[in-house]
Amino acid sequence: MKVTILEWHAVAAWRWDAPADDVCGICSQPYDSTCPKCKYPGDDCSIVEGECTHTFHMHCIATWMQHDPKSQCPMCRQDFKFKGENVAQEPQGEEGRDVGEGAAV
Amino acid sequence: MALPKRIVKETERLMAEPVPGISAVPHEDNLRYFDVTVEGPSQSPYEGGIFKLELFLPDDYPMTPPKIRFLTKIYHPNIDKLGRICLDVLKSNWSPALQIRTILLSIQALLGAPNPDDPLANDVAQHWKENQNAAIQTAREWTQQYAKPQ
Repeated sequence: MKVTILEWHAVAAWRWDAPADDVCGICSQPYDSTCPKCKYPGDDCSIVEGECTHTFHMHCIATWMQHDPKSQCPMCRQDFKFKGENVAQEPQGEEGRDVGEGAAV
Repeated sequence: MALPKRIVKETERLMAEPVPGISAVPHEDNLRYFDVTVEGPSQSPYEGGIFKLELFLPDDYPMTPPKIRFLTKIYHPNIDKLGRICLDVLKSNWSPALQIRTILLSIQALLGAPNPDDPLANDVAQHWKENQNAAIQTAREWTQQYAKPQ
């Protein structure tokens, strides 16, 4: 029997490449959820990793850096520096990038 | 303004798994305002006392620390007459990774380890440095007088 496909709808799901039960150390929300300011998860509310390996919603850590004159990591109090890539990629980046970069897998 | 999920989560956990010796109950009409009690640590002059505090979560919490004050009178070099507390994590060393429960534990620890070298109540600190035994005795008496459960 021959079947002719007239139309199809592709459906995909995504999640951040971070431990499923892990939550943002600032807002306590899962990474697959958004920071408190955003409505929809995704590239617009990405997660970032510091050189100290602690991860946060990008908006959460950015707000904290504005509040904290010392710009320390909330978890370990080391100077917070963005790692080259966010945790969705291979964490081997060398240069720190600006807030705002990151991609969903 | 809706209550941020983090505050809801923290409150639920404080109710479900309370910290031993510490209670924090939000007001029904203001879920950012908590009635707190802290038991004086054993082996300290505050042992046997139950101290009342008030705790308020400002609008920008957790970017700014909770505001906490002792309501029960207490004789302690780092707590003044108005109940204000000198504790680094409530000021310059605040971190949004800290929570209500960890801050209240720090306050309980402060009762067990008064630090007269970084005083808020200068007269008490002076007393502590000049005659520690007498100061501890006064702290004990105040605990008996003001911090005994009714």
